[in-house]
Amino acid sequence: MTTASLRAPSKRPTPSAARQPQDGYAGKLLRVDLAKKKCWAEPWSPDAMRELVGGVGLGAMILYRETATKGGKGNVSWDHPDNRLVMATGPMAGLPAWGSSGLTVVTIGAGTNGPTSTQANGFFGTNLKYSGYDAIIIQGHAPDWVYLYINDDVVELRDARDLLGKDTWATQDTLSAKLGLSGHMLSVYSIGPAGENLARFAAIQGDYGHVASKNGCGAVMGKKKLKAVAIVRGTKALRASDPRGLMQAADDIGFDLRTDPSAKSLYEYGTLPGVVNLSRLGALPIKNYTTNVSSVDMSQWEAPKLREGFDHRGHQCSACGMHHCHMSVIRQGERKGTIVDEPEYEGWSGAGWAIGAMSDIEGVAWLNTELDKACLDVNEFGWICGWVMECQEKGYITEEQLGFRLKWGDIKGAARLIQMISHRQGFGNLLAEGVKRAAEKLGSPAKDCAIYTERGAAPRGHDHRARWDEMLDTCTAATGTLESGVPVHPTEVGQPARINTFDGEAVAKFIAGIRGRRNFEDSLGMCIFTTRTRLENLCRALNAATGWDVTVPETVRFGRRTSAILRAVSLRCGHTPDLERPSTRYGSTPIDGPAKGQAVGAQWEKMVDTWYREVGYDRKSGKPLPATLKELGLDWLTKDLWGKRA
Amino acid sequence: MLATATNVLRIHPEKCTGCLRCELACSYMQTGTFHPAKSVIRVSPFEGHTSYAPYTCTQCAEGWCMTACPVGAITINAAGAKDVLDDTCVGCKLCTIACPYGTMFYDPDTRKAFKCNLCGGAPACAEACPTAAITYEGTATEDWLGEFARVRSARVLAGVR
Ligand code: SF4
Ligand code: SF4
Repeated sequence: MTTASLRAPSKRPTPSAARQPQDGYAGKLLRVDLAKKKCWAEPWSPDAMRELVGGVGLGAMILYRETATKGGKGNVSWDHPDNRLVMATGPMAGLPAWGSSGLTVVTIGAGTNGPTSTQANGFFGTNLKYSGYDAIIIQGHAPDWVYLYINDDVVELRDARDLLGKDTWATQDTLSAKLGLSGHMLSVYSIGPAGENLARFAAIQGDYGHVASKNGCGAVMGKKKLKAVAIVRGTKALRASDPRGLMQAADDIGFDLRTDPSAKSLYEYGTLPGVVNLSRLGALPIKNYTTNVSSVDMSQWEAPKLREGFDHRGHQCSACGMHHCHMSVIRQGERKGTIVDEPEYEGWSGAGWAIGAMSDIEGVAWLNTELDKACLDVNEFGWICGWVMECQEKGYITEEQLGFRLKWGDIKGAARLIQMISHRQGFGNLLAEGVKRAAEKLGSPAKDCAIYTERGAAPRGHDHRARWDEMLDTCTAATGTLESGVPVHPTEVGQPARINTFDGEAVAKFIAGIRGRRNFEDSLGMCIFTTRTRLENLCRALNAATGWDVTVPETVRFGRRTSAILRAVSLRCGHTPDLERPSTRYGSTPIDGPAKGQAVGAQWEKMVDTWYREVGYDRKSGKPLPATLKELGLDWLTKDLWGKRA
Repeated sequence: MLATATNVLRIHPEKCTGCLRCELACSYMQTGTFHPAKSVIRVSPFEGHTSYAPYTCTQCAEGWCMTACPVGAITINAAGAKDVLDDTCVGCKLCTIACPYGTMFYDPDTRKAFKCNLCGGAPACAEACPTAAITYEGTATEDWLGEFARVRSARVLAGVR
């Protein structure tokens, strides 16, 4: 919006708005106890909002406070009724900044059996907030399968037995038809068969193509016998403290995303350019990390080419102007006419390159959506399917064991594997345990080919042997996945604009130095792509929404505070620093390609040492040091972690 | 684009991504809060989750709502839009029945009718739309959605998912 439309709005004060306790927020948390079949609204105070913001900030504190075992020393496991499934949005959700409908899922995940923070978008945040809630906090296990229905003040646990076995898209189709609501009038975040059958890398999928995929959050939902959360777009109002300022900040962010070199290609093509760009760095994972040299003509993988290959329908998240989320219609071949979600870079890698599918582009696009429908994390699927393919080639997994022959690039075979894993059929039962557990069960030499972290997480869809920053981040983060994330304007937080990615010391300092921003973004109810602007702009938008005076240093401090709380939870879960390392293959040295010979293993210990020193955590115990906690304003946590005398 | 009295909201449905930002902007202009349930532009889905298009008052020449209003509460504002005079409107809802396009609304909170008034000449929806699927221009009004709706409903009608 230009300023022309920003004069005072005409008329009609909205009575419901007058009751808003804090600008930018809906004002209530929705609590659900599945065992007791009870749902209730819990107000939260403006002070708590300022302290925890929302998303992962809120979720981390809930995990810390509510998932400890008696006595506070240990933590409940992912499958315990006291585990919490937090589905939180944040203050920017439902407001006009681009991509502002963010969902952050926080729980004790089935992958690492430790804390999780994983994001999706769509219309979750918008629909939830217009119903009057900032987050849903779910506890207990339902005796029978239910779905949660939210329609303003009508919140019900409804029988979901007829939805069982349905994939996530069919679940949404069915609920839409049943409730007579189409398009964004109804948001559905659900699990497919993989979640129902507790696959440890099951995801939560919503609004046709938006996936909170990490750490088996879908298995937690399955364990709770919660098939879906269905949110009717509410009829309440949200008030911004300074609506004109908010729209101006939102437009400035939009301008930045459209024009800034660091965001422009994302604006135009989403994450599609990743395939070619990462292949040039040796960071595109090819055939389970066995090579970094592409055997196909890369020009067909250029972003414009990938786009041109399909008919498209825009499918953007709330208020988003990015040319990112699309629905693609397959134009040719046996799946002609099928509508799929345009794969992200990670879809092309996990459902494509990692499993050696490098030519059948339509096939990869289709397989990626099959994963969303089954609700499996595309990254971990790529590692597990690629691993099985490699092991079969090498004779470590026999045709008899698997039940069929699975060759590199076999899309139909991979789809068969999805079904076996989602239904825990045959060998699929072992694979559903996730790449680490399956590999450990088979032992060497198969184990040595598997890509995972010793904590039990699967990396994102890159070859981190050429992205040491992400490998270190993946291994050290309490959540088992990127905590610092991709740097956005690092100079803004006092870090160098660029570093040598093969200088372990520099990498560790850099990853420690940019820490904080990601957790802040994941607390706002926005998308990590639409927050690719300077933090200053995000503060402006947040302050206009809430009336606060948040500054850039405060955002970083907030994010680090959240990290420390998540770390305290992970320590309670028994995650010790010795688990913070890559598996043999994950930490190996590339034998060819642009990163050939770069040995992360040789520098690993030094990198971790440096990281610990820089973040102010104790290398031996893994605990944040008292001085660090003091600086973060977490003295109460010092007492819990170090005892009274610290 | 120069705003003149003959400007209309032109819809380019093929550009719409269904982000609903227009509804947010509209509701802000109408109510001072973000409140899509009270937006007077509504984005409808076609084919469930794959095609969307916005729809609002066409400011039709007949002015059915004006004709129907028994107390003369609907007038034409400087931008050429039919506009409800809040002080005069008695909330009888006749206009909502008279409008053949379904773009006249009734607000139970204020007990008044409400509709698109072209924001007095600078429509917020057109300015908010990130894809220029809504433009405000001097052209004759037309059925912007007909062909799009026909094509994009075919799959649903045929039962293809
Ligand atoms: S960038 Fe993509 S994921 Fe993010 S909000 Fe926009 S459409 Fe959604
Ligand atoms: S703002 Fe534009 S793209 Fe978004 S829903 Fe409205 S018309 Fe469609």
